[in-house]
Amino acid sequence: MTDTWELGGRPVYTGAHVTRRQDDALLSGRGTYVADLRPSGMAEMAVVRSPVAHGRITAVRTAEAAAVDGVIEVITAADLTDVAPYPNFAAYTQTPGTFPLAQDKVRYAGSPVAVVLAENRYIAEDAAELVEVDYTELPAVTSLEAALEPDSPRLFEDWSNNRLLDLQPDDSEVAAILAGNRVLRRRYKMGRHTAMPMETRAALAEVHNGRLHLWCTNQHAHIARTTLSYVLPLAERDIRVVIPYVGGGFGLKQHLYPEDVLVSWLALRHGRPVRFVEDRAEHMIAAAHARDHMIDIEAAIADDGRILAMRVQVVQDLGSAEIFPGAWCPALTTAAHMTGPYDIRDCVVSVAAVTTNKTPGGSYRGFGVPEAVFALERFIDEIADEVGVDRLDLRRSMLLQPADLPYTTASGALLDSGSFAESFERVVELGEHAYQRADAQYRSDPDSRVGVGYAVLFEGVSPTHHGASAHWMGHESCTIEVQPDGGVRVASGVTDQGQGTTTFVATLTADALGVPIETVRVELADSDATPYGLGAFGSRQAVIGGGAILLAAAEVQGKVKKIAAHMLEAPTDDLVIEAGRVHVAGSPVRAVTMADIATTAVIRTIDLPPGMEPGLEATARYEPELMEHTPDEKGRINANAAYANAAHAAVIRVDLGTGEIEILDYILAHDCGTVINPPIVDGQIWGGIAQGLGGTLYEDLCFNDLGQPQTAFMDYLVPSAIEIPDLVIEHFESPSPNTPLGMKGVGEGGTVGPAAAIGNALAQALAEFSPQIHETPLSPAVVRAMIPDQRT
Amino acid sequence: MTAPTARRVEPSVEVPISVTVNGEAVEAVVPARQLLADFLREELRLTGTHVGCEQGICGACTINLDGEPVRSCIMLAAQVDGSAITTVEGLSSEGLSPLQQAFKDNHGLQCGFCTPGFLMTLSTVDPEEYPGEEGIREAISGNLCRCTGYGGILQAVRTAWNRPQDG
Ligand code: FES
Ligand code: FES
Repeated sequence: MTDTWELGGRPVYTGAHVTRRQDDALLSGRGTYVADLRPSGMAEMAVVRSPVAHGRITAVRTAEAAAVDGVIEVITAADLTDVAPYPNFAAYTQTPGTFPLAQDKVRYAGSPVAVVLAENRYIAEDAAELVEVDYTELPAVTSLEAALEPDSPRLFEDWSNNRLLDLQPDDSEVAAILAGNRVLRRRYKMGRHTAMPMETRAALAEVHNGRLHLWCTNQHAHIARTTLSYVLPLAERDIRVVIPYVGGGFGLKQHLYPEDVLVSWLALRHGRPVRFVEDRAEHMIAAAHARDHMIDIEAAIADDGRILAMRVQVVQDLGSAEIFPGAWCPALTTAAHMTGPYDIRDCVVSVAAVTTNKTPGGSYRGFGVPEAVFALERFIDEIADEVGVDRLDLRRSMLLQPADLPYTTASGALLDSGSFAESFERVVELGEHAYQRADAQYRSDPDSRVGVGYAVLFEGVSPTHHGASAHWMGHESCTIEVQPDGGVRVASGVTDQGQGTTTFVATLTADALGVPIETVRVELADSDATPYGLGAFGSRQAVIGGGAILLAAAEVQGKVKKIAAHMLEAPTDDLVIEAGRVHVAGSPVRAVTMADIATTAVIRTIDLPPGMEPGLEATARYEPELMEHTPDEKGRINANAAYANAAHAAVIRVDLGTGEIEILDYILAHDCGTVINPPIVDGQIWGGIAQGLGGTLYEDLCFNDLGQPQTAFMDYLVPSAIEIPDLVIEHFESPSPNTPLGMKGVGEGGTVGPAAAIGNALAQALAEFSPQIHETPLSPAVVRAMIPDQRT
Repeated sequence: MTAPTARRVEPSVEVPISVTVNGEAVEAVVPARQLLADFLREELRLTGTHVGCEQGICGACTINLDGEPVRSCIMLAAQVDGSAITTVEGLSSEGLSPLQQAFKDNHGLQCGFCTPGFLMTLSTVDPEEYPGEEGIREAISGNLCRCTGYGGILQAVRTAWNRPQDG
């Protein structure tokens, strides 16, 4: 591990507007996504899904479907005799024993029960309708409150309750503080929504020379490969996972879904390519849902409103929990963020994750942090109201100041740097100004109210995977090879769902080696071509993938210099590497090219310095030293390599007649440490805010009392260009002293703040009606109900 | 899993069509129920037309059909007999068109899945009918993007339509 991280060359591309690598292909329709693959002889799969939310399967009749012309086979769980359930490595949870097809029970409407393999998808869907399944229906558990009831029906009969996870830490110290002070209690909820990438899930399996090749939309080539080897009767060496162009992941594609296993199993069985392309209606009920948290806060409050201590209970609704990796980790992440960037020393959080008869919850950008920020930031505004202090001053009295850093939060997060107070003040300055403007514009409009709301937050980035899987940890890998013509091949375990990872890898490799970016070829997301890495999750790829690149490049460059020194008969310390050439400092003509050096290293090895091994490549792995994987005896953990921070302000207008919220201004001050590619960072922020606003204002996945999903894609209301305002983005740059080049992650920050900022703006706008704003989404109907009827 | 008699569920009706796609004449016999998007993607292998919802909502499958932006996921291939179609593959015969270049220069795409739909909508509508900043938003309001938050896309259109932000 290095003490000081640096680029081996001058930063030519780092920090510059490097255009993205794949854009020419994508703009002309030549990007190949999984659904675009069509090997000859391909068959297609359709899934028969349970219409029942909770029931026992008493009979499955497939003969009629199997007899349809063009149907190859119809399978049920009983056929999968050589398939193992997904593993569960988390000893602190109960195990759902997830199997790719429902065995004796279904636990959510949409659960896969049978599969039809046919010559094409049209025939497969026809035949799927002919599969008859008999169910004995069972009472459905459709809310987390119901799941917590002691006499609630159980999803898993061998469990004693519906709590997959139930962590109750010792709260005696906090209880003592609560007992001696004024206490304020509130309950907050964040609704159920989902990532909704524009590309649905897809998988295509083929058998080549006795090996399984799976092309899929998963976010991790190696984790997918390993997981397949656990579930299928295959050695890991006999599996290759390739992830081509992906149409957005946002966490939803972190999970290795049943369909990925099923196409693989069918391809192996029939010796022909098998493709599954999820349709949007399936996506609504079978791809991971997210959020669906309830947070109870009890806090001891000083006279001036400061929080002295907090006792928090986080409950996450997991749906049926039949998903891998398991989905309880957002609740743990919520717990780790409950104190925000404030000096709150005493905070104890209990965490429960419960099963209900709904689509399995899973990962989604933000991953538990939006829930924590919504609850805490609303709570602070409510304290200010209750105690009669200014909500901005109350934040100021608790916010971490530069002198407080490094600071370890009550949950164990090590905040080594950040611009918490500065970014907040900047956003307040801009937010108040925008609010004055809005107020002047609408003051005389009897049907409008305007308000401004703030949220200030930190966000753990580059986390350990252990919280989600209890199996994988946190490293990333990179191989850099300089080929005889001087061109560079870089292969890494990181993956690209469209966020620009490929461009980032090329940028950093070029600058770390001192070569032109055009000479760098990037290979990602192919388990055969790249060293074992963990891929995309938790805004980790720049920080941890970047660390691996820098380490591999430093090793290669060390050798480059030694060979060049030998060729130029100059000491290595006198050499400068630039634009693919090595020259003696002050004498640019005494130079050798990367091609000369690599040809020597790989082909004309007789010219190498005596005793030097041939070859010009290195593989490095980077695992951040300060990242912890398991909590200490008090439950504290520094689960992330870095912590980004941001402050949000929303200025809104509420239409009193319709309850509609119009966003007049949205301001964000953001700090992700050192920036590698400014447009990519801005794009991540815009996209994140759009998803955060969607989840706050429009998006809602509803179920009725029978557990029947009530939200079609048509009703889900992904924001369009009309709904997303122009954003004001202010950049702060507080490099981390502990990460490569001081980078932090940027993928999720935008998503985290909107619920809190909008909720607080709404509270101000409607203050005269004393609205109870404790839940999202804040749809027009919900907001309208906060406004007394006599108003209209 | 055996049954006495094979049963054919797929409707047997097939329809001959002739259609011009990206300037080339295509003669085909298509199943009557085949979606236009599937015909383009699976038969002609023009996979740049993406399918995001098959419900006419997301706009990813938008093509130019006789000069109009049309959602190819809610039309049948049989309906386009005698028509002329342009897909994203036909937008430019060499390099990138000015619109495509504007998307590239302004970070108007991330995953690129929605991008062909935006390009086809924008290359088919008349900018004059969508005046001002609000016009740009309206022109693309039938296309959903989940990655960009529309910031880069709006900037790309402003550039391509030569429309300054405050104009
Ligand atoms: S795929 Fe046609 S509108 Fe979504
Ligand atoms: S760029 Fe990914 S959906 Fe638009």
